[in-house]
Amino acid sequence: MELTVRQMDAEEFQRQRQEVLGQWETGKGVNFEEAVAYHKSLPKSKIFAEKLAEGKAKGVTFAQPRAGVALLNEHIELLRFLQDEGGADFLPSTIDSYTRQNRYTEAQSGIDESRTLGRSMLNGFPAVNHGVAACRQVVESVQVPVQVRHGTPDARLLAEVTIAGGFTDYEGGGISYNIPYSKDVSIESTIKYWQYVDRLIGLYEEQGVKINREPFGPLTGTLVPPAISHAVAVIEGILAVAQGVRSLTLGYGQCGNLIQDVAALHTLPVITEEYLKKLGYPETMITTVFHQWMGGFPQDEAKAFGVISWGAATAALGKATKVIVKTPHEALGIPTKEANAAGIRATKQVLSMLKDQTLPMTPELALEEQMILKETRAILDRVLTLGEGDIAVGTVRAFQAGVIDVPFAPSRYNAGKILPARDTTGAVRVLDFGNLPFDNEIKDFHRERIAQRGQDEGRDPSFQMVIDDIYAIGKGMLVGRPR
Amino acid sequence: MQQKTLVLGVIGSDVHAVGNRILDYAFTQAGFKVINIGVLATQEEFIHAAIETNADVLMVSSLYGHGEMDCRGLREKCQEKGIGNILMYVGGNLVVGKQDFESVKERFLAMGFNRVYPPGTMPEIPIKDLREDLGIADE
Repeated sequence: MELTVRQMDAEEFQRQRQEVLGQWETGKGVNFEEAVAYHKSLPKSKIFAEKLAEGKAKGVTFAQPRAGVALLNEHIELLRFLQDEGGADFLPSTIDSYTRQNRYTEAQSGIDESRTLGRSMLNGFPAVNHGVAACRQVVESVQVPVQVRHGTPDARLLAEVTIAGGFTDYEGGGISYNIPYSKDVSIESTIKYWQYVDRLIGLYEEQGVKINREPFGPLTGTLVPPAISHAVAVIEGILAVAQGVRSLTLGYGQCGNLIQDVAALHTLPVITEEYLKKLGYPETMITTVFHQWMGGFPQDEAKAFGVISWGAATAALGKATKVIVKTPHEALGIPTKEANAAGIRATKQVLSMLKDQTLPMTPELALEEQMILKETRAILDRVLTLGEGDIAVGTVRAFQAGVIDVPFAPSRYNAGKILPARDTTGAVRVLDFGNLPFDNEIKDFHRERIAQRGQDEGRDPSFQMVIDDIYAIGKGMLVGRPR
Repeated sequence: MQQKTLVLGVIGSDVHAVGNRILDYAFTQAGFKVINIGVLATQEEFIHAAIETNADVLMVSSLYGHGEMDCRGLREKCQEKGIGNILMYVGGNLVVGKQDFESVKERFLAMGFNRVYPPGTMPEIPIKDLREDLGIADE
């Protein structure tokens, strides 16, 4: 199958479907027509797109945790706890890392060992191994919509099982679940895998079943300049809509500087709508998700609550539709359910306190918005040129050329030439531009701001400055000043 | 003195790449030859790289909680391949959930690791231990 942005033909989809459903025995439990009927039996309160639309109309920000364990009953118990004790507005099922690499045999060992030892040996819920009926048990055991959250380059079988299983939202995309989550998988192949997922959701959509799609905004979660994550979000949005998706939640990971983060949240739907319209795609519901700090966390729980609350404040002031919540155990790995619920409660306290406040437009905010739009357009226009109008083809070429370049990514399909660093106010700028298609005006803007920080700290900007930035939050700062 | 060689990688189905980059940089700066096999590294890749480069130490990272399952049997595999005495260090978020680090450390020492590090360890600490274990004088 040749790579193109155009909708997959029905024959190719059916051919792949045979193969995908045969990858693990639970694939046999998937029946599309029956699944459509099941979705139609769900109350509106359990449908992600419905609740997101309601939140968007009211201008409220919802809170959602991450969570998942190896065994079904324990997983349900965990989600109920986060709903009842944490007050989660949306629930997740975070998928374990073996499933993310399609290693279902190892996931099965993890399930078996968890049973024997009486503690979860997996870092998430192995939904493929558990199968359709178990997923429905999850959906039926809680009162709010449930989403699949993962990091799977080839998530076709996972999508088939979980969507037939009643989940109404699916995270990921061909770029955002490849570049930060794999080493050796080509972008061309993951774009195709995700076109299958998006086409599947398009087919549900055509039957009147709304499944929301959420490209993974934060990418590597470490000093990603907003224009780079925005460009990826727009591309994944277009790729999804081209396959029939009609409800999108676009994501952005907190950088830490309030003005920059609010500017990023404001511009994300604007730039996406601009390009969907420009390329002639149908109207799509667009909402936003803000990810609380994705980098290293302080070990001290009180300090971690500080980081969590700053993320909550930014989400509220930037009017994100939803915020993904961190926990006070973040520095130590997978949290207990109590710690997870505490993170949600802290977040919701701030969200409700700030729900009637906005950040007023100032010259600084306007400039930041203008720069993010300019930079994102520079990248997207070059991608379209490289692809001779086809954004799927252009994306593959853009990664080859380093026109899109994600800092600190494990994938060898990412150029890895750019180097970001904070400016003196903590906003993320670009220190080494690699092959980003930025003009001199944009480059001077970044250079001036980083130079100012160098002056303030009496040192030349270098990789050491970047390392200091990465460790800074754990040491109680945003900007990694020299000791 | 001859430069010592480290095989550095993130084991199992783990894709945490940021710390791996920083450790590569920090160990290189400290004068070691770093063979970085990156994320998603299997036990076999660690051992293969160690044999190829005649390495002195395996530096194993695991950040995602499956470390216990992924690291089991690594020492035995090294013995089978004739590098049974190689130094093995491990560090990160090694298990699922907040567990007492001393008990985690015991488990990994019993698996045959020489050094075990808790979450949030700065690169200077293993660098100091490497110098001690490899008999390198402090600068």
